Amino acid sequence: MVEGLAIGACYGLFATAVVIIYKTSEVVNFAQGEMAMFSSFVAFHILSAYQYPFWLAFVITMLFSILLGILIEFLFLRPAKHPSILGMIVITLGAEMFLMGLASWKWGAEQKFFSLPLNPSVTYEPVKGMIITNWAIAVFAVTACIMLFLYIFFKFTRLGVAMRATQQNKHAAKIMGIRTERIFSFAWGFSSLIGAVAGMFFASRATLDPAFMMEPFLRAFAAAVLGGLMSIPGVIIGGALMGLIENFFGYFWPHWKPIIAFIVIILVLCLRPSGLFTKHYVKKV
Amino acid sequence: MDMKRDYYEDVQLFKSNVVLFWSAALLLVLFTIPLYTPNYYIYLFNIIMVHIILAVGLNILVGSTGQISLGHAGFFAIGAYGTVLMMTTFQLPFVLAILIAAFIAAFFGFILGLPALRLEGPYLAIVSLGFGLTIMHIIGGMDVFGGRMGVKVPPLDLGIKQLGISWILTTDFQKYYLILITTIIMVVGARNILKTRVGRSFVAIRDSDIAAEVIGVNLTIYKTLAFAVSAFYAGIAGGLFGFVLGFFDPFTFNMILSIIFLVMVVVGGLGTIAGGIMGAALITYLQYDLLKNIAEVPYFGALMVAVSKQWFTVVGLENFSSMAIGLIMIGIIIFEPLGMFGVWIRMKKYWMTWPF
Amino acid sequence: MTLRKKVPFFFVAALAVLTVAGMAQAAMPAGFDDNEIRIGQWGPQTGPAAPWGSVARGSKLLFDIVNEEGGIHGRKIKYFIRDDMYNPAQTVGVVKELVERAGVLAFVGGVGTASGLAVKDYLAENKVIWVGPVGAVDEYVFPAKPYLFAVNTLYADEGSLLAKYVVDKLNTRKIGILYQNDVYGKAGLEGVKQRLAAYKMGLVAEIPVEPTEKDMASQVLRLKNSGAEAVILYVSPTIAVIALKTSATIGFKPQWVSSHTLSDYPLMNKISGGLWEGVITGAVGDIPDSKHPLMVKYREAAKRLAPEERWGVFYYAGIIFADPLVEALKRVGRNLSTDALLKALNSLTGYQTIGPKINWSEKQHQGTDSIMIHKCGPGGSYIKLQDWTANDLAAWKK
Repeated sequence: MVEGLAIGACYGLFATAVVIIYKTSEVVNFAQGEMAMFSSFVAFHILSAYQYPFWLAFVITMLFSILLGILIEFLFLRPAKHPSILGMIVITLGAEMFLMGLASWKWGAEQKFFSLPLNPSVTYEPVKGMIITNWAIAVFAVTACIMLFLYIFFKFTRLGVAMRATQQNKHAAKIMGIRTERIFSFAWGFSSLIGAVAGMFFASRATLDPAFMMEPFLRAFAAAVLGGLMSIPGVIIGGALMGLIENFFGYFWPHWKPIIAFIVIILVLCLRPSGLFTKHYVKKV
Repeated sequence: MDMKRDYYEDVQLFKSNVVLFWSAALLLVLFTIPLYTPNYYIYLFNIIMVHIILAVGLNILVGSTGQISLGHAGFFAIGAYGTVLMMTTFQLPFVLAILIAAFIAAFFGFILGLPALRLEGPYLAIVSLGFGLTIMHIIGGMDVFGGRMGVKVPPLDLGIKQLGISWILTTDFQKYYLILITTIIMVVGARNILKTRVGRSFVAIRDSDIAAEVIGVNLTIYKTLAFAVSAFYAGIAGGLFGFVLGFFDPFTFNMILSIIFLVMVVVGGLGTIAGGIMGAALITYLQYDLLKNIAEVPYFGALMVAVSKQWFTVVGLENFSSMAIGLIMIGIIIFEPLGMFGVWIRMKKYWMTWPF
Repeated sequence: MTLRKKVPFFFVAALAVLTVAGMAQAAMPAGFDDNEIRIGQWGPQTGPAAPWGSVARGSKLLFDIVNEEGGIHGRKIKYFIRDDMYNPAQTVGVVKELVERAGVLAFVGGVGTASGLAVKDYLAENKVIWVGPVGAVDEYVFPAKPYLFAVNTLYADEGSLLAKYVVDKLNTRKIGILYQNDVYGKAGLEGVKQRLAAYKMGLVAEIPVEPTEKDMASQVLRLKNSGAEAVILYVSPTIAVIALKTSATIGFKPQWVSSHTLSDYPLMNKISGGLWEGVITGAVGDIPDSKHPLMVKYREAAKRLAPEERWGVFYYAGIIFADPLVEALKRVGRNLSTDALLKALNSLTGYQTIGPKINWSEKQHQGTDSIMIHKCGPGGSYIKLQDWTANDLAAWKK
């Protein structure tokens, strides 16, 4: 149960990265998974090739992931002239293929080992039958920190308010003196960073290889949609629900585990077309 | 020059004798390709044409009606499995089997169209994605469909077994003509759909569904119809694809395939027939042929191997093609948001207004 | 011309060209000439299945060694590797390209069951010999196909032998299985069940898993609750690692037993963070640091000819699959032809290098039913538990 919740929180964390970009620029970033994968590989490379201590590698990776996000936005998305939403999606898909190719070229396709400095066999059992692992605690802690930070950030800082303004009306924001382009760079960098953190959690749970973020990305995207794509707490709850549903049904019907979550989401969306936690806004003609 | 003076001018198939001439020339080339093309390219042509049928159908949905689908591999699979099952289990002749399979796909398209009445954008994307995954999973889980093992395709018999007529196509050449004729029929059909009341309703829905409803377009009918038509195309394409391949398993129709289909449409050009055709041809060619075996290319290959040895891994060199495809996709969208169709329009304009 | 007039025109044109095309079929290029023998292999070098691609590169080492020694009766081997991204549609494309443009005498190896089944009939129609498909499925060999020669042990035979080892040597009665929900996993399951039926026992847990899954919490919990003391794995490397890691966190410590597809201990041990130690697996090749003279020779050659490759079991599996073909080519002599090669392959009996003993005949193209059993020692080292053992229950031999 807790394990499912932790996985769900991980999906939620990753979905937050998707949502930050979607919130500012209405682009579903299909390269998100591969950006996280690439950052995790960089961490792996620093750890294995230079033997730096973990925390140093972690900081370098975080810086790198921000840079990666900004670079992708700057090189691939910004030059596009009046792209349609679908065009933007194709650009992110192109970026995805590019990053995947580059990572496989650099590090080969073999699975790699990646671990966080947590002892996996240390577990706690506060209630009988409820086992909490170190990994889950770390996921919960990090997710909570990031949530808190995001809340304060969007509510109280100038930059956060500017980001929200950009999302609501790009042109008005521009007129009000907000440098919207800088906001986009920032959103991409920030989202890439959160993605990289989530990516490392996933990598330490499974293995690290160039395709390892495909499935989590899909789940996270679905979780984001379930939560409503616009509200960050909604997304985290969506992710948690996703993890719980999967593990609950996966226990009884392992055969249908991969799709059960999607079926639930389809049903939910039929009832609430904009996800669970956003108000369904009425479109004006 | 492109001004339309009346409705009939808009719906006619060939706008001028020039167009007619070039169409005829193109047909002639297409029909004689096998005579001067090496054997192994015919397979590639077959795959391209199958993808063209699908992309043209998907373009009706995505480009003309403005609905997104990440589940078209599901319809593709229904077409492929449906056709084979109809032929093996029910002993139906090929033409009937593929039509029934396509109608089954269209029915599922109609079903998927229902939630689309309330959903849009990423929400619809997730629903269609879930649909594609579910179809793949159900097919993989049921032994009627051969399970994970996949199914072997029966011989492609154009005759009717019950009447004792048998006309079996075995080589890629023969299949090429079958697929070519089907492709032409489907493409002309798509063009006709888009030029009629139905097509205009689709476009109206894309531009603003609420406004369309106000002027009397029945959203329920036309949105689901767009899904059904598009799924029908995918079904036909799937049925042919099975015979091109000779064997397939559920994983052939994975989500990546759905995404690739969408990429074809967007790269080719949204909302135009020619866009679908060009996108399908380009992306398929890139995936199947270009930049394969890069180490064997003279000079460049050796250079790449040296670069790999220095900074990368030699074993991963093949991934270079993936990077190149990604960059080409990005490049086309950045420099021409209308896709390859936009490039074509620009070339045409330049030509027509030359020397100004 | 209106559409109505055009449609019949199409059909007439089509019919005309169909007949022409039927006659104008170009002859295939031959698979060899006086100076070289062309051999091909497909394998995923990119995409999610790329780790299996080392099989194709392993075969390359063997052909390089042969060429270095002067080739086979004056002919050098020209070897083509084609990347198919584990996608049957692409496999058909690359195979057609090799057969119809380059002209190949034979294919070796070839990863991917779906890929193999997609090209099987095409290869047979064009009389291209195919030795040592990497996947082991019944459709390849039962009934025997004239041009297809299988080297790999069937998963069912392996599963049966593994179950026998668990029951006889480990004295474990509570056996669970975690299997991938595809041909590979189901064949393994069948073998295990067949053996247990012979002992009048059953499995305590049968858990399927989808090949793409990344979260195994619920499956592992079910295994734990079933009280299984030994768990047989028929899964992919990534899933095995996730299962082991998840088990370690919830304190579930059975004896893991696995198919030979996970017998790359250094890799498995590395990516599982040391959890792979103590796992018992089947094997279709000798241990990598074996003293077998051929193994020593190949190992040394790899250091010289392919220093960038890791000497892993999949890499030298490529050698095992290609070995019988090279041997048959040597036996044919200078007068090479497809028929002569077929005859040499059909008469290959008791041939063994670093893999299992191969016996082929006109009627039987499944070469072997034997596996070794190895155990992962500290640091990913190999401990040989059981030498080549044939499956006494193998259904196909009767």
